[in-house]
Amino acid sequence: MRFADPVPDARHVVYARIQADPLVARAAELLAEATRTELLLARAAMNGERTDPGIWRAMFPTLFGADVADAAARDRAEAILEVSLRIADRGEQARQQFRGAVVEALTERLLRRRSDRVRRERRVLFDGVPAEIHPYDVTVEDPDRPEIYDCKWGARGIDDDVLHQLDDARRHAAEEGIAVLVAIVVFDAERSCRVRLAGLRAPVAGTRLVSLESLGELARRPPALLAAAS
Amino acid sequence: MPNEPPSAAIEPPTVAVAVERALAGLAALGEIGEGDEDAWSYVVDLVAAWRTRLEAVAAARGAERLTAEAATAIATALDEASRISDPYRAIDWCSTLPQVVLTALGEVP
Repeated sequence: MRFADPVPDARHVVYARIQADPLVARAAELLAEATRTELLLARAAMNGERTDPGIWRAMFPTLFGADVADAAARDRAEAILEVSLRIADRGEQARQQFRGAVVEALTERLLRRRSDRVRRERRVLFDGVPAEIHPYDVTVEDPDRPEIYDCKWGARGIDDDVLHQLDDARRHAAEEGIAVLVAIVVFDAERSCRVRLAGLRAPVAGTRLVSLESLGELARRPPALLAAAS
Repeated sequence: MPNEPPSAAIEPPTVAVAVERALAGLAALGEIGEGDEDAWSYVVDLVAAWRTRLEAVAAARGAERLTAEAATAIATALDEASRISDPYRAIDWCSTLPQVVLTALGEVP
């Protein structure tokens, strides 16, 4: 088993520009410190209809209400709102790409807190096995315990193809005697992810789930198996 | 003034009333989301899952009256959700709206 860079194609080149946009890095930086409610604020505002910040402040009184005394927390929530609305203010196609890039950048940033072997957009190759076309979003290329992550903005984005691709990587690595951790990171509630997963046919027993509830844990330890995740 | 948060009623509603309104908003989003034919069964199950969670809160705390801030938060979220017409965004909001409502009610989504 080995990791490799993908062959750049047109989509890759265009998307790389979005991944490199400072707005993506700023969003990931802020969300890496965010509470559960702040993550929900970002999710809602990045995918809302209106970009007037007053609307969103009213929707989240526990972050912006009159009795929020913690000035630092309020400033952080304001910064998250501001960057989320800047993303929402892009055209529909651009905002979709930005949101996806933010989840990937956030995943990378969190993983870097416990590993210096984190890479983006990497393929995983096995001897005698045709290579997958699509690269994995984020990898931890630790030879003793490699990790492979696919990132999704919402539970709707999880599909059989991505689950099969992750499970295939896990099985092929096991055939080479390597225990690879495979996981999906979804910027959505665990409840919604589990509903989505229950309706798909691909195997999930060896795959791990990181949802809004468990995102912060990614910086401290590998995620739990789906069956065991709470 | 379409961009003003809707003000809460003079007397904030009870949790039961707020949940009833949230369920109506969720159902409307679900109908729009079903326009994504590839995700029809997911949308049905998603709405059902969040409906169950919201109904559990109403069953436990139905008579409790909301604070003015919570009432405004929920009304604002419902107003935002009512503006959505795209099926893909509606599916996202079938997950987002209940979370916002539950958070405003002081619940863990």
